[in-house]
Amino acid sequence: MKEQTMIRATLRTAVSALLLLGLMQAAFPVRAQQGEPAAMKRAAALRESPGESSRSLAQLPAQEPVTRLGDRQGAWIQVQTRGGSAGWVHMFDVGPTGLGAGAGTRVPSSGGNSLAGGLRGLTNLLAGGGSTPPPRVATATIGIRGLEAEDLDRAQPNLNAVSKMEQLRQGESGARQFAAEAALVAANVSALPAPARGPSPQGGGANQQQP
Amino acid sequence: MRKLTVFATIVATVLATSLPQLAQAQDMGRALGGILNSLTRPAQPQAPAVPSLGSILGPATGGRAGGSDLLQMLTQSLDQIDEPREIEIGRQLAAVLLGSKPLHPDLALQRYVNQLGRWISLQSARPQLPWTFGVLDDPGVNAFAAPGGYIFVTKGLVDRVDEAELAGILAHEITHVIDRHHLQALRAKARAGIATQVFSSQLNNNLGGAVSAQLLALGRDLYSSGLDQDDEFDADRNGVTLAARAGFDPYGLPSVLQQLRTAAPDNPLFSLSLRTHPAPQLRLDQLELAMGNRLDAFSGKPAVLLSQRLAGRRR
Repeated sequence: MKEQTMIRATLRTAVSALLLLGLMQAAFPVRAQQGEPAAMKRAAALRESPGESSRSLAQLPAQEPVTRLGDRQGAWIQVQTRGGSAGWVHMFDVGPTGLGAGAGTRVPSSGGNSLAGGLRGLTNLLAGGGSTPPPRVATATIGIRGLEAEDLDRAQPNLNAVSKMEQLRQGESGARQFAAEAALVAANVSALPAPARGPSPQGGGANQQQP
Repeated sequence: MRKLTVFATIVATVLATSLPQLAQAQDMGRALGGILNSLTRPAQPQAPAVPSLGSILGPATGGRAGGSDLLQMLTQSLDQIDEPREIEIGRQLAAVLLGSKPLHPDLALQRYVNQLGRWISLQSARPQLPWTFGVLDDPGVNAFAAPGGYIFVTKGLVDRVDEAELAGILAHEITHVIDRHHLQALRAKARAGIATQVFSSQLNNNLGGAVSAQLLALGRDLYSSGLDQDDEFDADRNGVTLAARAGFDPYGLPSVLQQLRTAAPDNPLFSLSLRTHPAPQLRLDQLELAMGNRLDAFSGKPAVLLSQRLAGRRR
């Protein structure tokens, strides 16, 4: 009897935990990367809140492992250190784990319009890239599959669907009204300079395989 | 019913093509007559040479050349492809994509993505293209564009992003269209003879005469192999700028790339997008080089979830 109650209580907890998880997923779709192990690409401060001017909680050395917590505000992402403290770092200061030697070099950018300390630049361009192309036919690790090359191979053109899609087009006035309601304001932004392209590890094509 | 539609199509197309060729009349070199004379008919063995449906329905397309003419132009010079022809090619490629996955039935979502995309396109160098956006009913994470302003995102992508991230993706695709990257890739493929190779091995009777077999073959090849790597880097960089110009957080696109980076290469939801693009970390590194902290002043806006935007639109 007592055992049954316990089981029921456990079940109830499990169900509510699952529900809560589901709710969180629904409410925070952006948090897909939560728990991702990552590493500092270069030394940077762990900040109390997003932004270079925020208080520094700790100094994280290059290649220090961190775990993404899932929150992001603009360029700033929330991470947890090995010691358990949570804080914010710039997205570009964090990379995948296992970056080789060369990480930690900071090349000043010539941007010049931002706060002090925001120097981000070339770091180990060659080490971070995925090199081997993923297999053409994926191993099915989960039940659902996305659109794949095979779907395209079989595709028969559907012009009726294109017409349907065209009926949903928005005109300029509709778009402007949407922007006004969403408080989106067009800004003057200069084009970004194209970085010089050095030779990449695969002779210019990390992922250029043809079927 | 189907017969009726086909008949109506033929009648309307004949009408459309026999209308005075307004645009072409100013440009003898591009005169439609000349193109029609040089038609390579064997490319469309099954159906009467019906130029595409697009010539009737697409508002910006006049009575224009069918698929094989377009293909022939592609192999020559891209200068010959004026905007109506570009739109026509895009329409046919959009039909190929929509032949592999249908549009998602959520009309409120489709409308929202069209408003968002159209707003971004207004800040681009070609604001007056007939920009058309669609959400494909597919759990995978991917986005596609076709010439002339046809842009697709998958439902799987839409489910994983916030508005600034979606804006970054749409801006990336819009940039491909602005810079005619697909036309350049198609041209390279057409010149390499991909269309004729695939054509001979994939004769199919189900084309309805609307999309030429060659353009179909090219389209399938294009979307399963992807664009030039440098075009992807350019579209990332210029897409970030475009999204910022439209008032969005410029870090939306880098954030999506980080999600792609995290995805296992053999995760079937990501497989095509990872296979057809440079490695996400390589793209992030390129973006970091270009962005530095130049756009940080435009960053830091609170994230807007798609569910917030869509609340109240669905009844």
